[in-house]
Amino acid sequence: MTATAALSPTTAAEPASPRRTRWGAVAGSVILGVYVALLAFGSRLAPFRATELAGRSLEAPGGRHLLGTNLLGHDIASQLILGARASLLVAVLAGAGTVVLGAVVGVLAGWFPGWPSSVLMRVTDLVLVIPKLPLLLLVGALTGGSVLGLSVVISLLFWPTAARILRSQVLSLRTRTHVKAASGFGAGTWHQLRRHILPDLALLSVAEFIPAAGRAVGLQAGLAFLGVGDPTEPSWGAMIRDAVNFRALFITSAWKWWLVPPVLALVALIVGITLVGTAAERRLSPRLARHQR
Amino acid sequence: MQAERVQFANGPPHPGRVVAELSGGDAGRRPVRWRPLKTIALYAVTLWAVVTLVFLLPRLLPGDPLRQLDDPGSGSFVYDEAARDRVAAYYGLDRPLAAQYGSYLADLSRGEFGWSISQNTPVSSLVRSRLPWTLLLTGSALALSSALSFFAGVTAAWHRGRWADRTLIVVLAASRAIPEYAIASALLIMFAVTFPLFPQAGAQTPFASYPSPLAAVGDVLLHLVLPLAALTLGLAANKFLIVRNTVIATLGEDYMVLARAKGLPRRLLKYRHSGRNAMLPFITALGVQAGFAVGGSLFVETIFNYPGMGTLVERAVTGRDYPLLQGCFILLAFVVLLANLAVELAYGKLDPRVVER
Repeated sequence: MTATAALSPTTAAEPASPRRTRWGAVAGSVILGVYVALLAFGSRLAPFRATELAGRSLEAPGGRHLLGTNLLGHDIASQLILGARASLLVAVLAGAGTVVLGAVVGVLAGWFPGWPSSVLMRVTDLVLVIPKLPLLLLVGALTGGSVLGLSVVISLLFWPTAARILRSQVLSLRTRTHVKAASGFGAGTWHQLRRHILPDLALLSVAEFIPAAGRAVGLQAGLAFLGVGDPTEPSWGAMIRDAVNFRALFITSAWKWWLVPPVLALVALIVGITLVGTAAERRLSPRLARHQR
Repeated sequence: MQAERVQFANGPPHPGRVVAELSGGDAGRRPVRWRPLKTIALYAVTLWAVVTLVFLLPRLLPGDPLRQLDDPGSGSFVYDEAARDRVAAYYGLDRPLAAQYGSYLADLSRGEFGWSISQNTPVSSLVRSRLPWTLLLTGSALALSSALSFFAGVTAAWHRGRWADRTLIVVLAASRAIPEYAIASALLIMFAVTFPLFPQAGAQTPFASYPSPLAAVGDVLLHLVLPLAALTLGLAANKFLIVRNTVIATLGEDYMVLARAKGLPRRLLKYRHSGRNAMLPFITALGVQAGFAVGGSLFVETIFNYPGMGTLVERAVTGRDYPLLQGCFILLAFVVLLANLAVELAYGKLDPRVVER
């Protein structure tokens, strides 16, 4: 490291300035807090129901409609508030499902070397190369694309990254002294996993959960945008879809209050999750902790 | 979006660790085996799994895929009786499963993907006119993002910690987190609506007649700019971080000290001695990205109404046109698997540590 510092054009090392990191985490938490509040109080905050005929077609923002109305006279602000539900539910369900599946495969593959491990890693490789979005579209179109259904399918397709990371952590844990001592004392597989492996994986799983949740938000909205989704469930992706499908969107100025708000809501949520995730990864990932402590 | 995780995505890598990883860990210079036949066999198995999955999905999931098409009360009722029969023949649900599977595989091997319900045309002919546009978009996005991220990555590593490095990291990390359709709508609003520099939709000007072939190419390129930019931004971040971190890891190597002491020009130091080390992880990422590029192009094409597979898939979803959707998926999966296979085979040729057995 000293050689690098002396040689490199800039001698400035990259200090993990704690101040910057904390602000990112604070901003991310505030954003997420706002969305959770929308989820909790959304039905009371929203002045109209999502598909209620609330006003005339394409009313500009102002008056009774804070963000105007769409082509069918639905209130955009209400749709925006109520759409938070689908995104947040998918984030939690699909994020958790991805990590749980990844943990099961990762722990099994890490703990049982030989054929179970190689079979599991083959399957992991296989799932990893399948183009996921077209498959999600196919399955989503066949099953109807409810929030729960999509979460299951997303979990079933995106577990390999978590599985690989958790497996390598299990492999590294196996060689640690305390685990070796436990197996030397005759501890059973289940006891060792429960006492020594799973607690160590918990933090890493949280660090894996957050990006998985962010990815699921983007996917759910993207699928709704392409037409896979429950038509009765208001979602930002469906709003973007409706707006883009309106042929005169850019001839009128309706895009300003119809297309921009759902895109911004979505980007803000994903950025919030990413900020929290980056902060959490700094704290939780053993890979990064190693050269920061 | 769909962000693939890099080995050292955030924060500085530890040089010794990265070098150890690249040279095969504690095993030192132990040659890695390269077995092209085994690789090809594995991809063939994957393709078979994909094809079988497509066969099984509609048959395993609850519900009868044809009921809606046969029910005059439903929205997706198919009025043309001949078309309905063709769809029923495609699925062949009255025959035993093994026989259905056999004729499905036989059809696929002849390049027949079935009959599109919504457009009343063979799926293969629909796909044939769309696939080139998607290949143009994804191929050029992969190439452009590779070139950009390589130069940006080496430059950022060389100036690490300074403003250029920090700006690139923030901008590219943001572009990785934001979904392609959001980037695409932002670009559309900025450069086609607010400042109408580029066309809003399509791949060519409709009903245009060109004075020369060159003008036609120019028109296609003009329509390509915004979709390409949206897709490129999403693909660049990952490779940028890989290049940056690998190059930073090489800065302290002995051969770099020697090259510098010899007084080699900076360009050679940057790209020949240092940047070259990033090629292998870079190419691995490229293979993984083939899938992401195809997925991203589905979104980008829909925003810009680009006449590729994306808009076809979107129409298939809207019309609940399963044969078309299945055909599109099999074809896209085939393209992605082929790209991955090519990368893995190239990997064996590129890395001198990989030995053919």
